[in-house]
Amino acid sequence: MRIRSSALTAALAVTALALTGCSGAGADDADADGGPYRVLVTGGISGQGALAANAQTSVLAAKASAEAVNRAGGVGGRQVEITVVDDAGDATTAVSKLREAIASGKKPDLFLNSGPSTITTATLPILAQNKILSFNIGPTEDSANPEKYPLNFDLASGPSENAETIARYIKGKGYQSVGVVHGSSAYGEVFGQAMEDALGGEGVSSTGSEEYDTAALDMTAQLQSLKNRGTQALVVDAYGAPLGYLLTSLQRLDWNIPLIGNTSVAGTSLVSKPAPDGVLGTPATANLVMHALSSTVYDANDTAVNTMVDNMTAMGDIPSTLILADNYDALPLVVAAANKTGSSSDPEALAEALENQEVLDGAETAFSPSYHFSADSHASKPGDEAYKFVPPSPLLNGQYGNPSA
Amino acid sequence: MTIVWSGLALGAVYTLVAIGYNIVFISSHTFNFAQAQLMMVGTFVAYTGLVTLKLPILVVAVTATVAVMILAGIEEIVAVRPVRDHQNQLVTTLGAATLINGATQLIWGSEPLTVPFFGSNDPITVLGGRTYPVEIVLLILAVVLVVALGRVGTKTMTGLALLGISEDREAALLRGVNVRALALGAFAFSGALAGFLGLFVGPKTFAVATLGSALAIKGFVALAIGGFGSLPGALVGGLTVGLVESFAALELGSQYSNIAVFVVLITILMVRPAGLFGRTRERVV
Repeated sequence: MRIRSSALTAALAVTALALTGCSGAGADDADADGGPYRVLVTGGISGQGALAANAQTSVLAAKASAEAVNRAGGVGGRQVEITVVDDAGDATTAVSKLREAIASGKKPDLFLNSGPSTITTATLPILAQNKILSFNIGPTEDSANPEKYPLNFDLASGPSENAETIARYIKGKGYQSVGVVHGSSAYGEVFGQAMEDALGGEGVSSTGSEEYDTAALDMTAQLQSLKNRGTQALVVDAYGAPLGYLLTSLQRLDWNIPLIGNTSVAGTSLVSKPAPDGVLGTPATANLVMHALSSTVYDANDTAVNTMVDNMTAMGDIPSTLILADNYDALPLVVAAANKTGSSSDPEALAEALENQEVLDGAETAFSPSYHFSADSHASKPGDEAYKFVPPSPLLNGQYGNPSA
Repeated sequence: MTIVWSGLALGAVYTLVAIGYNIVFISSHTFNFAQAQLMMVGTFVAYTGLVTLKLPILVVAVTATVAVMILAGIEEIVAVRPVRDHQNQLVTTLGAATLINGATQLIWGSEPLTVPFFGSNDPITVLGGRTYPVEIVLLILAVVLVVALGRVGTKTMTGLALLGISEDREAALLRGVNVRALALGAFAFSGALAGFLGLFVGPKTFAVATLGSALAIKGFVALAIGGFGSLPGALVGGLTVGLVESFAALELGSQYSNIAVFVVLITILMVRPAGLFGRTRERVV
């Protein structure tokens, strides 16, 4: 009898929960254009390696942006409510957290993925199925394809865009016989191929692309192989400790050639700290320039970027470079789209507005000076003028080149 | 020759991890999955002592040795002693490794930290190839430790007692060997060694929270190639892994270097299932 009554209690509880869930969904509808504008941000805050510090910067950027947008009246009049979840850089955790948020009856209006492309791959189908507008900083092969994911926009430029910008820089410098060394990460592999294609597209001869295992402690063999092929300039993809191993291996080979680091290199703290903490000022970085968005480089006259930095530092220290502060631009873009559509509750209408260049030009973005989403592509495509090639220097508030650093 | 030096230097690091595995394995048949993480903690303590606190090298060496020795002792008491079954100890030491990984990240953060070497940091040319002084020191340390610990294991009463525990714990108990104390001692010693070696491994690898995971697998492969319980095997296994890894990356591409290492491992295990220096017969102690 006791068992039966327990079963009955459980059944009642389940029914009650189900009804609560239904009422939650109803509340969701009622919230449209009325309640808070819910933003779910995932990041690998407790992730391994350099991932954690960069995730913290991403989350800080989202929070600072929400604060600024709320001060200016919110998204279509709705105050932004940010929920941050730590996915530890793990796609399974990110998916679980996203599903929990959707099932909670408080479905997010906007999803910001602050993690690597593996998380983008895992979360995009769920977001599409639930018609949730999203921005991500870890582009994948099809994340910018509106036919597949009409409600997703890539804030970060993809490997191909980055590679093309670097290839144009290399051509401008007159370098020939250029080699590429890249990690075995998902991004590294795509970047390696994209870089070779881009060099070919610019008519620069390539000596090949060498991959290294991201868990390896030495890259001498890969570099020796490129050196043997007559490489005269080297494009480098390395993030965290592997960058240190790569620079050490270059010194071991006594190989002094121009090094062009991609944004992964610019996102590694080793290059911004003088010895003994880092490698800044050592011969290892003497030939290095890094590809970075202009917001990662200090400019006293750039009001938008300086306001972004002030807003972020007002909420906490910026723990890494600004290269992963992309999230700062997501809300201004949505605000501009909501102003165009007159509503913030229809993700499809907002996405359509974001394909309008007038809307994009009117958005008060700071991380990137411009975005060029279109009906054919949701890639950010900021253009060459949005980038700089900078030598390593100490960081101040996540930026290179600040004389006060 | 430069590739040879880079392979040997990598191999020396793997050997040092494998030696730590062996000390615990010989004494108690336990495989301590957290050994590489203990060495990683040693690199962080070395960084804090040398860079943050700017302490003299000898003080840092003692601090790193004692700190990691205590950590290893705690691991033995918490994660190994209460679990009698060696298979289950694999799980608990793996748990300890995960905990240590998380704790180091909390304490020292996630960015790589440069551990300075007390000698020169400039590459030198030796026998026609370029290498770093710290890499030569790592190689020398690996050889010296294998020889010295091998002699301790066979020529001292403590070493023989440890071998006895490894062969038959109950028989050793009946012969009056303090099994608990010696097992704890071996664990603590492997930790002390890992802490001390952090001072030399750190300048080669940086102090970084991912180091433990990177070293653990290759250290294990070195052990399997050389044979569980064999110190010379650890040296040969470690250097083999380092050289195969480097030459495969040069000749075949790095996507094949890990495959090449495992092909060598499987080939050796097919010919000698106990590893190159592993023993299938019981030892006479």
